[in-house]
Amino acid sequence: MKAAPAEKGHTQSEEQLSLLQTITMEVAAASDLASALEIVLREVCEKTGWVLGQAWVRNPDVDVLHLVAAWYCGDGELKPFKAASETSHFERGVGLPGRVWESKQAAWLEDVTNDPNFPRSPAARTARLKTGVGIPILAHDKLIAVLEFFMRESRSQNEQLVNVITAVAAQLGLVIRRKRVREELTRTNEILQSILSNMGDAVVVADKDNKFLVFNPAAERMFGKGATQLPPTEWSHRYGLYLADKTTPFPHDQLPILRSIRGEDVDNVEMFVRHENAPRGIWTEITGRPLRDANGDVLGGVVVCRDITGIKEEEFFRAGQSQVLEMIAADAPLADVLRNLVILMEGQAEGLRCSILLLNRDGKHVRHGAAPNLPEAYVKAVNGAPIGPRNGSCGTAMYRRRPVVVADVLTDPLWTDYRDLAKICGLRACWSTPILSARGDVLGSFAMYRQENRGPVPEETRLTQIATHIAGIAIERQRHQEILREREERINLAAESADLAFWILYPEQNTAWMSEKGRRIYGFDSNLPLTCDLILSRVHPDERAEVKAAYEKACALSGTFESEHRLLLPYGKTRWVIMRGRCLKDEEGNLLETIGVTLDVSVQKQADLQLQHQRDEMAHRNRVSLMGEMTASFAHELNQPLTAIANNAAAARRFLERGNIDPALLKQLLHDMVADSQRAGEVIRGIRSLVRKEAGVRTLLDLNAVITDTVRLVSSDVLNRESVVVTDLDPLLPQVNATLVQIQQVLLNLIMNALDAMEGLPPAERRIIISTRLDKGDVTEVRVRDFGTGLPKEKPDKVFDHFFSTKQKGMGMGLAIVRSIIEAHGGTIVGENAPDRGATMIVRLPAAPGQTQTVAAA
Amino acid sequence: MSDPNQADESEVCLLDDDPSVLKSMHYLLASEGLKVRTFSKAEDFLAHASKHHVPVVVTDIWMDNVTGLEVLARLCAISPKTRVIVITAREDLAARATAMAIGPVAFFMKPFDDEKFIAAVRDALNRSDKKEKA
Repeated sequence: MKAAPAEKGHTQSEEQLSLLQTITMEVAAASDLASALEIVLREVCEKTGWVLGQAWVRNPDVDVLHLVAAWYCGDGELKPFKAASETSHFERGVGLPGRVWESKQAAWLEDVTNDPNFPRSPAARTARLKTGVGIPILAHDKLIAVLEFFMRESRSQNEQLVNVITAVAAQLGLVIRRKRVREELTRTNEILQSILSNMGDAVVVADKDNKFLVFNPAAERMFGKGATQLPPTEWSHRYGLYLADKTTPFPHDQLPILRSIRGEDVDNVEMFVRHENAPRGIWTEITGRPLRDANGDVLGGVVVCRDITGIKEEEFFRAGQSQVLEMIAADAPLADVLRNLVILMEGQAEGLRCSILLLNRDGKHVRHGAAPNLPEAYVKAVNGAPIGPRNGSCGTAMYRRRPVVVADVLTDPLWTDYRDLAKICGLRACWSTPILSARGDVLGSFAMYRQENRGPVPEETRLTQIATHIAGIAIERQRHQEILREREERINLAAESADLAFWILYPEQNTAWMSEKGRRIYGFDSNLPLTCDLILSRVHPDERAEVKAAYEKACALSGTFESEHRLLLPYGKTRWVIMRGRCLKDEEGNLLETIGVTLDVSVQKQADLQLQHQRDEMAHRNRVSLMGEMTASFAHELNQPLTAIANNAAAARRFLERGNIDPALLKQLLHDMVADSQRAGEVIRGIRSLVRKEAGVRTLLDLNAVITDTVRLVSSDVLNRESVVVTDLDPLLPQVNATLVQIQQVLLNLIMNALDAMEGLPPAERRIIISTRLDKGDVTEVRVRDFGTGLPKEKPDKVFDHFFSTKQKGMGMGLAIVRSIIEAHGGTIVGENAPDRGATMIVRLPAAPGQTQTVAAA
Repeated sequence: MSDPNQADESEVCLLDDDPSVLKSMHYLLASEGLKVRTFSKAEDFLAHASKHHVPVVVTDIWMDNVTGLEVLARLCAISPKTRVIVITAREDLAARATAMAIGPVAFFMKPFDDEKFIAAVRDALNRSDKKEKA
């Protein structure tokens, strides 16, 4: 078989070679597997004398073979068999294709019409087919397809023919495999392309030569332009790539794609991208990996760029809020805080303009807060405007205490007064929300302006909520700070101008702090460590126990204390101070500290003492001068007892001379003389008490009695001046707590003044009426009425001023002294002109405690 | 001390609102053996004088409710013959002049000399007698 058919073999070999060549070329050119199989079937049939060829492939879903291609010689009788094949499926081991599948070997059937395992034998008989061969097409030992060829002649197995077809099949297997791989690749590529085209992240792949292999649409959107041939040094410029500061161009050697080409893994690099298609800029986070071949050599790099603008902006927004809050916490000026807040808000949306207005403390007018990007003319016009039910968006929002949305300022009635201005300034929509304090008081308003007429979108409403919240904190804090500052200034001013010491006592530790001024007041050196005891030791010994008790009582009650006392400083110097303090306790009631102030009132105190002294001196002089006016009365008062004594003495002498005196009578005379002597002594004592410098002590006085005595005292002078004093006294008048001499002085002054006022009248009209009564239950009232010239009409009370006098010889001190005496007794004195003529001086003195009840009972 | 209903030719009336002065003058005149009738109120005296013969009255000028001058004026109307001796605790020329014009026989400043006073009272009583007799 090897040598003999050499010639024929040669021919067959040539045929085979030609067949293989044709098949290889045509199959390679075939678009898909089916058409490639068809080519094979045709070539094999035509070249090797088969009438029918069919190809079966595995149906992957049901794991059976089904017909995919067929070729037949055009004989109409073959049709039934072909139809039978088209409707047949073969499981492994069934029929000719199934047998080939199972054995992966070629199978030769000499007579298919009589083969038991050939289900299509009836159709084969009709088609007059006899011989059939099945050839497997294998790739990597896996069955891809089964080829079937049939002829009408009965023929035994021809090894050579089988070999040729097997060789062809093998070749076909290779081709198919290659094709499948390519198909697979294509499909994978398509999927990849689809993914790349549709994914949101930008993907860029470049090879070792910095040539872009992939630049997906997202990358084009993100970077504004497509792939480029420019060298990498130009990329940052071309695509607008910046570092996080938004201004420094991204250094090209640090570009993630180039780093990944260099073989580095790049993770989470942030980059800012800005170009003409993205004027606000895009924030991107980039991850990059080198691309390597099977040997690990770098072929290029791939980067994936995620758009994190939204996250980043939210981050910046939060950072901006934090910054504003920090400003508030650091007590930055309110104007700066609000300005930053407005700028922050404006940065959150395109075309947004914002403003903050403050409500004045009067609660009726607004003032400028912050509006850095609104026209100045507009800002100026709004500043100082009133709030009200139809006062633009802001004025109305503050008035209503509710948000006011004006979508179109050109038509909304709330904007009637501001419409023209808004028009000039190009403002169209204005939505304003009141800024409220924690307690709900209106502090101001936050407004958003737009140049198009519409209402706010949810994002803008969210921004407004944030802005009003932060602005509320800022304004409220500033107000609070303002109040504190004002208070502090006032205190400082007081501390500087008045001699005020600040101190804090920590009783638990027995330590204390005191301001510099305080140390000077208390006579402590600047660097002396202070204790509570040390401070207390400066209090004058006479008053120390009292001060300590007041302080301890305040501590116990956690209240305040106030004490006026003297300090005794080293070297014997004394100061008068007023000390005021407050005890502070923690939540558990432990005394934390006592804070307070000490005011040095030495100067005032000295002045007070001096004034008091002067007053006493004046009062004394007044009394002495009154005495001078009362000589007649005193002479009379004194002459009466002296006369009685003289008479009694003379009578006694005469009785004795006559020698018939009754001892009892003599005793009576002597007794009377003693009594009258005492009476004379009392008169002199009375005069002396009036001219004594000290006025004496307060006692319970019956005003009616004092009036009667005083009237009697001056009666001689009253008579002398041809005048009359009439009294009308309320017998139920309660007693008063007063100094007798001073009350007498008051009455004498009033009577003398009344006498003086009536000098020009005919004697019959010179009348003084002194009356008493109880006023309002606990106030005694003494009225001294005359019929003289009266008080100055315009200002009757002017008579109480120092140095006011209508008399040529008067000093003008009398009534001023009277008033100071009455006021020192807690009373009042007023002067009125009587309707007809003359004046009434009305003295009111408080009844002594406990006196009024007695009267009521009586 | 005195029976108001019984008049006495030699009875001296005393008028002074100061009780101790009144009492002391009573004793002084009593020491001379004179009959004395005392009054502390002018009304009481005038009432007495309107019903009884009063030869002499000693009166103070300055009293609480009424001046001696008023008493003198009314006494002139009631009993023009009554001799009046004025005593006063205060030097007052105008009052003295007025009193003398109305008609008192003597004017004494308190305190006064007892001999002169008694002499004046006696003189007044005598004049009254003479006048009476005449």
